[in-house]
Amino acid sequence: MNGQATERASRGPGAAGWLQGLACGAVVTLATPSAVLGGLLLAPGFGALLLDREPGRPAGRVALLCGAAMAAAPVGALWQAGLGVGAAVTAASDMSVLAGCWAAQGAGWLVAQLAPLLLRLILDAHAQASMARLRAERARYETDWGIPPAEGS
Amino acid sequence: MAAPPTPDDPSLLIGGSYAVDAARPLPGAGGGLPAFAVADRRSSGRTGLMAVQSLPGAPPRAMALNALAGWAEEGLLVPLAHGPARGAQGEAAWFVVSAAPPGPSLAATLRPWNEHDLLDCVLRPAALALEALETRRVTHRAIRPDNMFRAGPGASVVLGTAWSAPPALHQPTLYEPPYSAMCLPSGRGNGTIADDVYALGVVLVVLALGRVPLEGMEPAAILRRKLALGSYTALVGDERLPPVISDLVRGMLAEDPEHRPPPVLLADPATARARRVAARPMRRAQRSLDMASGPAWDVRTLAHAIAVDPDEGGRLLRGGTVDRWLRRSLGDSALAVRVDEIVRLRPSEGATDEARADGLLTMRAVAALDPLAPLSWRGVALWPDGLGPALAAAETMGGPVGNLLAERLADLVANEAAGAWAALRPERGDPTQMRSEARHRRATTRLRGWSGGLARLRYGLNPLLPCSSPMFAGHVVARLQDLLPALEVVAARPEARRERPIDREIAAFIAARHDQRFEGELEGLADVASSEQAMLLQLRVLAGLQRRLECGPLPALAGWLAEQAAPALAVWRNRSRREALEHAVGEVARSGQLAPMMALLDNPAARAADARGFQAAGEAVQRIDAELAALAGGAESRSETARRIGHEAALGVAMMAVTVAVVAMALS
Repeated sequence: MNGQATERASRGPGAAGWLQGLACGAVVTLATPSAVLGGLLLAPGFGALLLDREPGRPAGRVALLCGAAMAAAPVGALWQAGLGVGAAVTAASDMSVLAGCWAAQGAGWLVAQLAPLLLRLILDAHAQASMARLRAERARYETDWGIPPAEGS
Repeated sequence: MAAPPTPDDPSLLIGGSYAVDAARPLPGAGGGLPAFAVADRRSSGRTGLMAVQSLPGAPPRAMALNALAGWAEEGLLVPLAHGPARGAQGEAAWFVVSAAPPGPSLAATLRPWNEHDLLDCVLRPAALALEALETRRVTHRAIRPDNMFRAGPGASVVLGTAWSAPPALHQPTLYEPPYSAMCLPSGRGNGTIADDVYALGVVLVVLALGRVPLEGMEPAAILRRKLALGSYTALVGDERLPPVISDLVRGMLAEDPEHRPPPVLLADPATARARRVAARPMRRAQRSLDMASGPAWDVRTLAHAIAVDPDEGGRLLRGGTVDRWLRRSLGDSALAVRVDEIVRLRPSEGATDEARADGLLTMRAVAALDPLAPLSWRGVALWPDGLGPALAAAETMGGPVGNLLAERLADLVANEAAGAWAALRPERGDPTQMRSEARHRRATTRLRGWSGGLARLRYGLNPLLPCSSPMFAGHVVARLQDLLPALEVVAARPEARRERPIDREIAAFIAARHDQRFEGELEGLADVASSEQAMLLQLRVLAGLQRRLECGPLPALAGWLAEQAAPALAVWRNRSRREALEHAVGEVARSGQLAPMMALLDNPAARAADARGFQAAGEAVQRIDAELAALAGGAESRSETARRIGHEAALGVAMMAVTVAVVAMALS
């Protein structure tokens, strides 16, 4: 799977990439204020998306989605205010909005990083518990039936 | 050395009644064997009893003891009982109880007897005793002056005891027919009543002369003289005997047993004297055939020379020297043809084994030359029914001589020599029966495992031969019922308990005492692969014996077996079951019962369940090991799973946040 993705990446953006670029271009052309506001508020997310080297870019996607959730309200307010570029810049200049969006994206990125580690800890603990139970069971068989202990134990 | 036991020890009573007083020996009463006074505990007034001690390697005559059990006969010291007791040095031995001699032996005061005393005091009573023995198919084989007794002048003689040793074992060459004297002392066999008649004839000569003829002469020289001259001439020579005695003795000392008068005839000396059997005189050669043992002038001395020196005899036979001598010097071409036929048989038999072929050649040649001669196999002469005592003597003798004798006897059995020998003298016995016996004996020695071999044959042919297992040093175990009590005593010695209770000798002993139910177990003892199987087989045999012989509790033996049961317990895989079994075996051992112990240890159903449990446990452990291996090697897999699920969970949370934000925006 990873090999295929690497091969695909080495061949450059495919049709989907071109379509995404076209859509972005269309949005920038047709809805410039929203694009400006979105671009400013979601800049860390896009950055994470670009920098994420993992297949499927999970961390970047999570960061972007978290940022999008926080950016929904300012974008909605922009639409109600008339969709001007100035209004977009003004909304983006609001530090509480900008910090909230960026913090949400950071939190999303952090969650995407920590969730696998936490899960790994849980799975390892479960495996250790299972091994302890099995070893005890084996020791009982060894005692009861004279079965030799496992090698290296 | 143990102290002499008191005669009142109830365990040492023979037949539950007779106590041997080893402190009161009776010199000269036992016919060459130690004899002791005996007290009858049931009948305190009964006196004049003695017990004659059997010596190692010379077992008592079981057939005679059985045939004479409960019998009384004047003129003979008949056996009253027999069994184990302690001798003068405290040694265990087999004793035969009989009446003590009524007076001194005839050898005590040797003087010339008159004809009347010889006939009335010696010949008649002895002939009556022999006649009575003959009706019971028993021979005496120990008739000689030092084993004949009488109470005083004018009293009839009494034949001494002859039951504590193999037939004729202690007979000097002088008193034995030459064809018995040339045998191994232990291999003379029961013989026939005619052999007793011969011995009685020699006794008459000795008493008539008042001295022992040929005294001081070597036994081999006496034998050669008898063969060369005939027994009567050899013994009497130029001496003058009373005419009646001379006529009687001439018939009694005939070389051919069939020419000797039977005891019933001797009881009437006048009739016996009138009986004349014309024996054809031995043909004498014009020239002797010189051999290492001396010149041979007739076929009888030639046959003896070949029997004594089979290597030289075989060489002369193969080289044609004997054939030429028979034709030219002796003029007996018919015999020469017969011998030639025997020599021609050899090449076909010598293809595989030269020694066997030479043994058969000389044996057949001796039988053809002298049909009266005993079986002569590679320098060993014996009558076939003397094989058992000869085997016992060889085993006791030990050393190079004993080993060589045992080897020769084993060779004799392996080649069924007795059958081949009997076939050459059909007029002297039933060759079919002899061949069948020879085949059976060979088959016995070839039986696999500990239940066969020469030891089995030795015990089988000697029903009262004590077991010679080293474990029974100091004990006499001659009957099967003596075995378990003796093992119980042995079990009390800690050093003995290092070995298993049944060794090769004991196994052969049990097998020979006709307990065929244990054949399989005894056969298996030799080739069991595991000590656990060996222990179970031994336990099965001993438990079967205890049940069959109703021996009572044997706690020491059971304890010994419980100690030896470790391998049988070790095969039980389940620890708790094994510990319970150990405990149960210990409990049963204390009760001294072997059968319950056997039932505990040899339980196939429980063993199968244990094996199944062990197999299931093994499979479970394999499954556990596989799971442990999978868990130990699954770190990467778990990491991948955690990464994948973690990312999906984070994505799900982010998607939910977006959805909530969009919905909230739409609603506001």
